[in-house]
Amino acid sequence: MNKLEFLTRLRNSLERGGMPVEDINDALTYYEEVFMDAGFGKEEETAASMGAPEDVAVNILRESGITPPPPPVPQNIAQAPQPQQKKKPSGGAIAASIIIGVLTFPIWLPVLIVAVVMLFVIIVVLFSLIFAFIAAGIGLIVGGIAALFEAPSVALMALGAGLIITGLVILLCKPVFGAAIPACGRGIKKLFTWVGGLFKKGGKENV
Amino acid sequence: MGFSINAGLLDAMVLSIVQNNDTYGYEITQYLRKAVDISESTLYPVLRRLQKGELLETYDKEFMGRNRRYYRITPQGNDSLEEYREEWRSHKKKIDSILLNEGAESNEQT
Repeated sequence: MNKLEFLTRLRNSLERGGMPVEDINDALTYYEEVFMDAGFGKEEETAASMGAPEDVAVNILRESGITPPPPPVPQNIAQAPQPQQKKKPSGGAIAASIIIGVLTFPIWLPVLIVAVVMLFVIIVVLFSLIFAFIAAGIGLIVGGIAALFEAPSVALMALGAGLIITGLVILLCKPVFGAAIPACGRGIKKLFTWVGGLFKKGGKENV
Repeated sequence: MGFSINAGLLDAMVLSIVQNNDTYGYEITQYLRKAVDISESTLYPVLRRLQKGELLETYDKEFMGRNRRYYRITPQGNDSLEEYREEWRSHKKKIDSILLNEGAESNEQT
């Protein structure tokens, strides 16, 4: 479990317990800080050392004098986004969180779109770069061979350049297709998953 | 095996750590780990309780481009810590008298 999932599940559990919003924020600030102080590479480890966020929430709720509600049906965060939020909130805290979500909508939606688009652009740029290199390499080699007898010196230079570029492409192919592009893809998927989780939370509470 | 630590003792230890130096949650846990098997999530309710009881107060301080929440002991916290220490001394003496057979003259009850 990473930091985001831990914090999201913790927030959901605290909200379900009906904790005041400022107390929830205080707790989340603390846990977010713990993750940052533990170090970036240690998210999984840190989350594991703290146990299930639902259990953590139970302890926090108990400390603030709230009897924790029974554990909810386990929810799958990795679900498709549900962009429909039903109205009619059933409590003050829930209403506030929905209002905040709706009010900040103009802020986080463009940010999200920009993030997704940026990742997509990186993928496209990488693809076109590779394609351009392949084309240039082949062009130079073919041109070099064609001009070999008319202008040998130019032809040899073109051939050499073509071979260098081809070599670079072969070297670059693996990291680009194997790592960079899948990484961007995963980034996009994560963003969607995260938003899906937010909507899931909202939707669930309105049942 | 280990001995369980109760809430009062944990409160006292946290107060003592913070009394030495203003510090933040993660560091408090690291200190406590020298003596007790405790996780970051055990500490939060303790800090919260001490804060609500006005034994600790917090302030934010910038650290590497973000805010870190520091805890500082209040005068009430100092008083309370002194009480805890006194209590611990007498508690420790009683336990030692049985567990380590210390001061055996005083408890010859056969």
